[in-house]
Amino acid sequence: MLKLIFGRLLQGLIVLLIVSALTFSLLAAAGGDALTALQSDPLVSEQTIKELRRTYGLDRPLHVRYLRWLADLVQGRMGQSFFYKAPVSTIVRSRLSNTLTLAVTALIFAWAIALALGAMAARRARGSLVDRLCSVVILLSASTPRIVLALIALALAVRTSLFNVGSSSISTQESAANSLARLLVPALVLSVPLIALFLAQVREGLRAALFEEFVQVARAKGLSERVVIFRHALRAALNPLITIFGYSLGGVVSGSVIVETVLGWPGLGQLSVIAVRNRDAPLLMGVVMVTATAVLAGNLAADILLRLNDPRLGEEERVSAKISNAEQRAHVPAGS
Amino acid sequence: MKSALPQFEKTDAKLFATDEKHEHTHGSRIRQARRVLRRRARLFVGLTILCLFYLTAIFADFLAPYDYRVQSRGEPLAPPTAIHFRDHEGRLSVRPFIYARRLVDPLERRYEEQRVRAFPLELFARGYRHKLFGVWSTDRHLFGVRAVAQEASSGALEASSPPRLNLLGTDALGRDRLSRLLHASRFSLVVGPLGTICASLLGIILGCMAGYARSRLAEALLMRAADVMMSLPVLVLILAARAAFPLELPPMRAALLLISIFLAVGWAEMARLARGLVVALRRREFVLAAESIGLTQTRILFRHILPNALRPLVVQVTLMLPAFLLAETALSFLGVGLQEPEASWGNMLAAAADPTLLAQQPLVLLSPAFAIFLFVLGVRLLSDGLKSKDV
Repeated sequence: MLKLIFGRLLQGLIVLLIVSALTFSLLAAAGGDALTALQSDPLVSEQTIKELRRTYGLDRPLHVRYLRWLADLVQGRMGQSFFYKAPVSTIVRSRLSNTLTLAVTALIFAWAIALALGAMAARRARGSLVDRLCSVVILLSASTPRIVLALIALALAVRTSLFNVGSSSISTQESAANSLARLLVPALVLSVPLIALFLAQVREGLRAALFEEFVQVARAKGLSERVVIFRHALRAALNPLITIFGYSLGGVVSGSVIVETVLGWPGLGQLSVIAVRNRDAPLLMGVVMVTATAVLAGNLAADILLRLNDPRLGEEERVSAKISNAEQRAHVPAGS
Repeated sequence: MKSALPQFEKTDAKLFATDEKHEHTHGSRIRQARRVLRRRARLFVGLTILCLFYLTAIFADFLAPYDYRVQSRGEPLAPPTAIHFRDHEGRLSVRPFIYARRLVDPLERRYEEQRVRAFPLELFARGYRHKLFGVWSTDRHLFGVRAVAQEASSGALEASSPPRLNLLGTDALGRDRLSRLLHASRFSLVVGPLGTICASLLGIILGCMAGYARSRLAEALLMRAADVMMSLPVLVLILAARAAFPLELPPMRAALLLISIFLAVGWAEMARLARGLVVALRRREFVLAAESIGLTQTRILFRHILPNALRPLVVQVTLMLPAFLLAETALSFLGVGLQEPEASWGNMLAAAADPTLLAQQPLVLLSPAFAIFLFVLGVRLLSDGLKSKDV
């Protein structure tokens, strides 16, 4: 277990290094920085810009700048955002908690619906009413992109005033119920494509597990159907679910870019769009690093869970388990 | 597939439990046939939807009544034109007609019909010149407002062109939204699928190399890289990559850029699947047989292994397609994909994200969203149909 964690941590660090180096050099290759816009300002002289460049260290060669950025990062600093004129770390920190709240709520929604519907469908015969309902839910939720759903939610919000969307910041004075209501709609929108992903797997996995002998034994013992399903059958069907959970995290973060932008949720996704539009390289670097770290951490958690659930799994089997269900799983677009 | 197994067990159990075997076999045959039909129906419906979309894209110029870039500054954000059969005096006419509109309140964007003169509609109306299939030059469009005859003698100085027929209203610059929607399908339906195909090919090549060329190090590296690629937040990375290029790009360059970005991030999933399939097939007897008679590796790969792996690979392509289409839409929506005045579903949706506008005309503003939904549904039905073996 420790070996797994250390291996994964090391691998994650290497990945983060590569991602940061790539992003950094791409942004540098773009040419032009936040000060380029100042050049056209008649009030700012050439001399001032040069001095500003020197103070921000923008006149140094690429690798020097990267190493300096890296050294800063180790000390917990991520530079100064040109657009917000504030330290990147403070901006990112508040946004990160918002995005995490949104993502976790969405994941809870998706799992709750998938488990409830999937368990109901798995108990009944293929082709039964519930089973067909499940198929329809899978088809519809997999083919409704988040961008479409988010816009429909926005239209409903402004037409009917059933619920509120959008806030520039989550204020602390706001009542808990109110902020919960604000969270609900974006989280629902974010969770919809996930429902298809999880539901398809829960249904198939549970259905296969219900034919196993240990389930018959559990039933023969006289356990209630709920206990049989959730304690015995689900445990056996859990491995692919955890794997899928790990892979879905990247999709959740990608999806939150759209949902946050449309529904005005002040999270990292929205921030990344702001950073790209304003060519704010330090901010974008910060956002990319934080999201990548969060997703990799989620993946590590999924790996640990997988090992806890099924200690038999060695590294090799885990990989092959992933392959076999990559083929089966209902597929949800990354960017939706 | 794996999932079909429990069901057979169940029907078998039912069969043996009852006396009237014949009846039940009959029933289950019908049920089986029905299932096959349903899957075929999915395939058929999916294919039909996709064909309609691509036909629309090909004939966009003919179907669109107006040039999608031409602005009509007098009528910004107009609601859809009302089509009449009965004029203000109550007379019925067989041919539908429209009235000219005038903007009475620019703030609230209220329009008023001027019911003095009716402008009849017609099929195959004359409009802007375009080239059908890039060859035939014609100025006919599927429908439009009948051109006004020159009535210089009437004395009144009338505009020589008839009012515009905007079935989906106009956007902020007075451009016909239907024409934009039709033209947008050209960009959106080419970039996403082309990106998918390129990324799939790269993924298949890399996956086959990892699975068949037996270099353990290369295999491990490639698969770890694919693992990492699949677990990273792709859209954020795409945004970062996109930030490296100027925000405004001509459409051709934007398309090329998007396709190459998709290529860079999209190969992983395909490589993973292809490698799994190749590894599984490599141990099969027919491959061993082919090896034992001394065929070359490339020949075995292309003639023996790949044909057997084709179906899951094709299914995977159809599964990836919506992801790329939506990535393009998302980028254009966020303002870093295709730029105005060119039209794509994404940048049309960007206009729909304005709450006040959305409150006034929700349906027409969301029309690109419905197009996206329908297309993704079509692709998904197609892949569902392809997935089942008994088609």
